[in-house]
Parts: sequence; C-alpha cells; structure tokens
Amino acid sequence: MRAAACLVLPVIFASVTAVAAQEEPNRPSSGYDPMRRSLSPSLKEDGGAPPGNPDYGGLPDAAGAEETYYLCSACHSITMVTQQRLSDDRWDYLWDWMVEKQGMPQQDAETRETILDYLKTYFSSEDRG
Amino acid sequence: MTIRANRNNGQDPAHARTDPTDPASIDRELPDRIPDPDRRSVLKGAGLAAMGAALGTAIPFHRNLPAGVIPVALAQDTGAALMKDKDGLTLLNERPLNVETPAHLLNDDITPYSRMFIRSNGLIPQSALDMDATGWTLDVDGEVDNPLSLSLDDLKNGFETVTLALVLECGGNGRAFFDPGASGNQWTVGAVGCPEWTGVRLGDVLEKAGLKSSAVYTGHYGNDVDISGDPDKVVISRGVPIDKAMEPECLIAWSMDGEELPALHGFPLRLVIPGYPGSASQKFLTRIWVRDKVHDGAKMGGHSYRLPRNPVAPGTEVPEEDMEILTIMPVKSLITEPETGAEVSAGQPVAISGHAWAGNGDVQSMHVSLDFGQTWQEAELDAPPNKYAWQRWRAEVTPPEAGYYEVWARATDRNGMMQPPVTPGWNPRGYGNNMMHRIALFAS
Repeated sequence: MRAAACLVLPVIFASVTAVAAQEEPNRPSSGYDPMRRSLSPSLKEDGGAPPGNPDYGGLPDAAGAEETYYLCSACHSITMVTQQRLSDDRWDYLWDWMVEKQGMPQQDAETRETILDYLKTYFSSEDRG
Repeated sequence: MTIRANRNNGQDPAHARTDPTDPASIDRELPDRIPDPDRRSVLKGAGLAAMGAALGTAIPFHRNLPAGVIPVALAQDTGAALMKDKDGLTLLNERPLNVETPAHLLNDDITPYSRMFIRSNGLIPQSALDMDATGWTLDVDGEVDNPLSLSLDDLKNGFETVTLALVLECGGNGRAFFDPGASGNQWTVGAVGCPEWTGVRLGDVLEKAGLKSSAVYTGHYGNDVDISGDPDKVVISRGVPIDKAMEPECLIAWSMDGEELPALHGFPLRLVIPGYPGSASQKFLTRIWVRDKVHDGAKMGGHSYRLPRNPVAPGTEVPEEDMEILTIMPVKSLITEPETGAEVSAGQPVAISGHAWAGNGDVQSMHVSLDFGQTWQEAELDAPPNKYAWQRWRAEVTPPEAGYYEVWARATDRNGMMQPPVTPGWNPRGYGNNMMHRIALFAS
C-alpha cells in the first residue's frame, strides 16, 4: 500500500480534549467556551443513546449499527454520521442524495429502512419529547 | 456525550506510530477504524465479494489488501498522515479530511500552514501526496478565442506574479450552530484563515485566452479523487461569475506563505477566490472551463453552496428550484486573544484582539461588548494590507468587579451590515453563519 508508509496518524488535538473536558456547561470555569451554549441543542446531548460500540466506529450499540457502519464508512469516516443531528425528512433526502449524486449503491428496501430508522433514532434533530 | 468527544473516541494518539507493514497498526491509529478480532471476523465472513456487492464495484486497490482490512486501504489517500504538521487543530472528519482551527490559534495576521484549516471534498490526489508536478498543465477553454494549455513555467514566466494576503473561509463555517442541524461537517468558528498566496491573476490568464462576449461564468476542475474511489467521478467543480473572476485579487496560486503549495491545500496549483465560499477556490487545479451559462458542475446545484431564495423557518425542506447560489460571504470577525475562559483581574484592563473580514471587501468598523451586548465600544481597526485580507482589531475591556464576563465581537461592513448575535437565516445546508463570536472571561 503505497501511502501506508507515510500514514502516521491523524493527530488529534489538544483542543478536542479541552472541549471534551467541559462536561458541565452550566457551571462554567476556566477554559469555558460560551459558543457552546449556541450549539444546536441536540448536538450537546445524547438523548439516552446506548453506549458506543467500538466495532462500529463508536456508533450507539443498537439494531442497525452494523449495517450503518459498513455502508457509510465504506466511503467516508463514520464521524461524518455522528456529527449530524437532522430531521427525518433530511435523512430521507440525504439517502437519495447519496445514491443519486454521490454514487452510493442502491440498497434493498429492508436495508434502507433499517439504516434510516437507526439514523433517525440516534442522529436526529426532531423533538420527540 | 459531547460532539467533540465522539470525534476521537477518547483516544490519545499523540504517541502512536504506525508500522507500514502492519495494516492492523494503521487501523489502530485511525479513530474511525478501531480494529478488533470480532470486526475482522465480520469482514472476513462477509468477504470481499460481499463487500463489493454492497458497495457496487468501488473497491479500489483491492489487490494490495490483506484480507479483512478494506476500510484501511480506502483510508490511504485521505492525507491524514500530513496532519502531523498541523498544530492543535480539531479533526471533524478524516475521510474526506476536514479539520478546523480553534479561534485562539488563528491569532497570526498571516495564517501559517500549521494553523490553516482543511476542507476536502475528496481524497488528496497522488500527485499532491508525492509533491510531483511533472507534466502539470492548466487548460483554459470554452468561451475563449485562444484556448490555453499552460505549464507551471508558462504561468510563472508569462504573467505578472503577485503576492496577496487573502481570506479563505468555508461556506459552512458556523454550521454547527444552526438548529435544527444542517447536514455536513459541523464547523464551529475555525474554518477560516488568511495565508499569503503567490501566483498570477486569474483575470490576466482569462484575458490572454481572450474571453468571448458569450462568457458568463467559470467552471473549475482539479484532479482530486472521489471518496468512493471512482476515478471517473468529478469530486467538486464550482465556478464564479466572470465579473468576479476578473477582480485583481482572484489568483491562480502556486505558493502559500512563501512555500510550495502544500499537498493538503492544493499542490501544485489552486484558485484563490476571496470573498466567496472556499469551494470556489478549486484545489489541484487542472482546468478552467469558461461557460456561456452558470456553471453546472458537481456541487453547483441542489442544496450545495446554495441558500433559500426567500427566508424560511428553521427546519423547512426547501425545494431545490427555490435555492440560489451562495456568492459573497457575510461580514465576520473572530476574537483570537485571549483564549476563551481566560482568568483576569477585576478592575484591570484586558487586551482583546482579533480579525475582521467581509466577503465584499473591507470592514468598516469593529465593536466589542463586555455586558452581553447591552453597551458597545468601538475597537481600533487596522487597514488591511490588501483588499480581502483580514484586518487586525484591538480593544481594551475592564471587568468592573469579580465575576463572569463575555466579550462579544461585532464587525460592520462598508454597507452597514453587521454581525447578528444569533444565527442568521436558517438554511438546509447551514451556510453563511456570521453570528458574533464570544469568549468568556473570569475576573477575580
């Protein structure tokens, strides 16, 4: 593998750790970033999702995680998925966009439903309360 | 869970090294690709054929693969290895590689390579990874009288060389603050930088080619590779109106900060179209197709780099025909010192500083507030070294007594347009968020 020889690692990043350490945004202290208050609310909470499964890039461990991991990470990092908090309509739209514009192979109806249900459950901006 | 925490799965890779002969070691270094025997068995069980069926035929380089490590091989051209020279940046996405810079690391007037954000739509082409420009040509064709095929030497010798400090900002910078969420990389504030670029004016090259009266738009092409591995798929091809292309600050650049254009930023040649979303500034530039209509290349249509023609309520699904192209980026600013959350002394002045910029040119004024926007004071604002460079601003604020304070920063452009305190018009893909930047101060 030609580029493997120079594949050291994606350096990861003091700032990530620093932000991750701010687990109590309601009680800011040194290092606090007030921009965090403005993040899309759903980006700041996990909505009671099951713990991440390291086999599947840390996706919440639930039905659909395996299918989602292998289909999505075939082309892009699974972090592209875990960053998102989208409406149900937007997930449907993105699926079609992936197929029509991004060359994702069409899946059978059952696989599509499994994966979209999973995405809409754990990476949603919908207010289901 | 925090959004940042799941970006690296809590790993500390600072000491990790990859053994190029051991694919499993590569797995370990890539946060999305944590290997373990179970996953391998899943892959082995599924088999290359099954994976191929699920993915269509897009498994490039499969001959090079040890069994069971398909995702590793697909990672090889992301450019992630080059991240070692980036300093303190935040990884949003490794494939394709997308990395932003925390605000306090953007304090330099000229953004150094180590702190320049990375926005990739595809994989880094092998020519860039190898830094090999042998035989590179830039073709200029379409609505021109004299189609050109220019070598790098032709460009360097045939036109006036110019060096300018120019802001590049991703159109989606600030996307993470839209609610409901907008799809794409969740940039916060740091998908922006102002390096110094050296090259020739795009307008000079178009002039030499001789624009026909039918020329209305440019269409840009590079040699980056789609993340699907499909070598025939155009990753991204955007363009700008001819009037914009003819502005003297639009460059075809071969150098950033006095060095050869780095692989991650478009080696050997790229466009720099300041004031427009960064996607107009094609990397790995091979062709400029002058069009007789608005360019219709990849990511010109649909919802990509487009805004709703009329304002919509947050979360609205907007039909594609009601979207229009995002062109001039809005006025914006950053507080780059001190770092947010600084501890300061009550009653003592605190020096605050940062940059301001606007897609339509110079910033007219800059203001800061220490009381959540109730009162404002004008900041000192330097003239830019050239149009479309960001401008240094400075202010002093004095927390009157012990407690929690926020500095809010607000730039105003030459038309009197100023940054809003909250996200401006929601749009499906989260572009153009120029809400004010804020930092915290703890006074004691």
